[in-house]
Amino acid sequence: MRRWLVGLAASLAAIVVLTAAMVPLRSHLSPATTALVLVVPVVVGVVVGGLAAGVCSVVAGFLVYDFFFIPPYLTLWVGAAQNWVALGVYGAVMLLVSQVVARMNSARSEARRQGREIAELFELSRMLVEDRSLDVLLSSVVSTVADVFGARQVVLLLPDDGNLTVAASKGQDLSDNQLRRVLPKAGELTSLGVSPFEHDGLFVIALAAAGRPVGLLVVSSDVVKADRRAPLMLFANHIALAVERVQLRDKALQSRLAEEVARLAKTMVGAVSHDLRAPLTTIKGASSTLADSELDLDAEATRTLVKLIDVQADRLAHLVQNLLDMSRIQAGVLTPRWSVTSVDELLAGALDALDHRGHVITVETRGDLPFVDADEVLISRVLINLLENALRYSPKATPVVVRAAIEGDDRVKVSVIDRGPGVIAERRNEVFELFSRRHDDAGAGLGLTIAKTFVEAHGQHIWVSEAPGGGAMFCFTLATVAPISEEMKLGADSHH
Amino acid sequence: MAQILIIDDDADLLRVCRVGLEALGNAVRTADTGLAGLAEAAIRSPDVIVLDLGLPDLDGLEVCSRLRAWSQVPVIVLSADGSEDRKVEALDQGADDYVTKPFGMRELNARLQVALRHRPSDEAGDGPAEVVVGALRLDLVHREATLDGSAVDLAPKEFEFLAFLARHVGKVCTRRMILENVWGAQYTKELHYLKVYAYRIRRKLGDHDGKLLQSDPAVGYRLVAPLE
Repeated sequence: MRRWLVGLAASLAAIVVLTAAMVPLRSHLSPATTALVLVVPVVVGVVVGGLAAGVCSVVAGFLVYDFFFIPPYLTLWVGAAQNWVALGVYGAVMLLVSQVVARMNSARSEARRQGREIAELFELSRMLVEDRSLDVLLSSVVSTVADVFGARQVVLLLPDDGNLTVAASKGQDLSDNQLRRVLPKAGELTSLGVSPFEHDGLFVIALAAAGRPVGLLVVSSDVVKADRRAPLMLFANHIALAVERVQLRDKALQSRLAEEVARLAKTMVGAVSHDLRAPLTTIKGASSTLADSELDLDAEATRTLVKLIDVQADRLAHLVQNLLDMSRIQAGVLTPRWSVTSVDELLAGALDALDHRGHVITVETRGDLPFVDADEVLISRVLINLLENALRYSPKATPVVVRAAIEGDDRVKVSVIDRGPGVIAERRNEVFELFSRRHDDAGAGLGLTIAKTFVEAHGQHIWVSEAPGGGAMFCFTLATVAPISEEMKLGADSHH
Repeated sequence: MAQILIIDDDADLLRVCRVGLEALGNAVRTADTGLAGLAEAAIRSPDVIVLDLGLPDLDGLEVCSRLRAWSQVPVIVLSADGSEDRKVEALDQGADDYVTKPFGMRELNARLQVALRHRPSDEAGDGPAEVVVGALRLDLVHREATLDGSAVDLAPKEFEFLAFLARHVGKVCTRRMILENVWGAQYTKELHYLKVYAYRIRRKLGDHDGKLLQSDPAVGYRLVAPLE
């Protein structure tokens, strides 16, 4: 509308300027020359304002030509017959020119629009193949469609639990009424899935990929004129493919997750049943021999069997304790019961509960270590599990060392050092994972996981590194009750 | 005195078995890895081997099949996981029997005695023309069976089923082994054949409680001579 007026104004202005310039010279100019000059405003009009502006400027040019340049001047009276011819040719040629130029113009703007659409489509497809989550993808899809087609309202519906629900929208949401009209009800005849349909100001396209319905795209239909349907359908197809791909990927991810959970559960059952069965087998073998009244066991054999039962019963008790700890962790009831205690006290308790298996455990702590804030039960379990682990991997007759020292301003670091094979750098995070264990080891791999969880419940850290001189060094920190004084730090330095 | 070799990586279990089985009148040697066990078996040729399936160096199944390459010594497998698959695999690899952990010492000893009783003789040959299992006598050439001297009327497949078990007397034969050898390789899924035929054979032999033709649910069957 505005463009048309601008074109007309430009054309009229050109006519005024050219006429003003030519009127003083008109006696020297032939009617053909003036007619030729008056082509200019018509072309200006049609290029700027389109065909309608062109036609108006033809009329204006015709009148001006007749009025100013066809003798007798300043009348619409046409004198000689040859002037009639000039006027007629001018009018006819100008109409043709404006038509041709207008057609060229509209072809050019159509091409420009198509170019923009292709660019948008390219942009959309680039976005669609990017690996994004469904939410991000959907919201960018609807806004792109809204931008490209200038739609007031774009809504994308996807199935959720069998019902189509709004997954993303741009512009105003669908009213309940509209939603009801768009969505087919059970037992209701619908054209959904066959071809796009227009309904109550909404243009509805069923998205399908590989013959499978994917969702529904709803666009306010004021913008979907006949010539815009094809590009919209093209967009819809792209969207359908992308949505399907993301849905399939999500499904694949979910099934992988389920597999992983099942695998973990299987590992857990396998590991736990192995760990329960191994001590049970020894106990059952020994007790069935002892209980056999027909057998004549000597005192030495009896003592061996009884001792084995005792040791294996401890192993069972330890495993059951770990399983209980594990279930406590999984139930999410792990809140430390804080109390003020000392590392020495914690260590004494842990060493008491431990079967040393002939190893020497050396404790290296300073007598003046600050008190720490910790759950005595949980940290005892951490110490027992770390020591158990160290004993398990230590060669016979090598000592296990427990060291405690102040660390930073408000922490005590406890280290358990063994002379075993150590933990290679790549596995240092892995060892704390559930059911991680060396391939030749019988333990269920619960101990270190429990230790890590308990330490982290205190807001502290646990890690493993290589011990100086070989072997593994497991360390964890505990919070001191009060900040560590400077003199204590100095004392620590001189201690080294 | 029977020489028993136990291959297991659990030192405590080895000690228990040594004490228990020696008290029951056996001579016991132990090995804590598969390779050590194979070496021990080669050097001392024990009368029977007890083999744990979960060994640190070699898989128990691997130990079993390596052993079978040069020895027919009876192998009793200790299965820890209780899953049928591993047991059946071990039996297919040539193991004779299995005991599930945990076990009583008498139970292990009883299995050992069955294996010792039916230990294959060292004589080589084309296989016997006649097999005797307790009161049952099978003439493999004329395909005739007698029980306590009187003829038993067996259908051809019934005879073959029984003969197959008799040739491996004392050994647990897996369902797959029996189906493959008696009916053919394409019949290995027809597990119901075994139930039907075992039922008929027991009826004809008067073995109503399954003492002679023993069945191992989900694993297989074996023929055991009852103790006199």
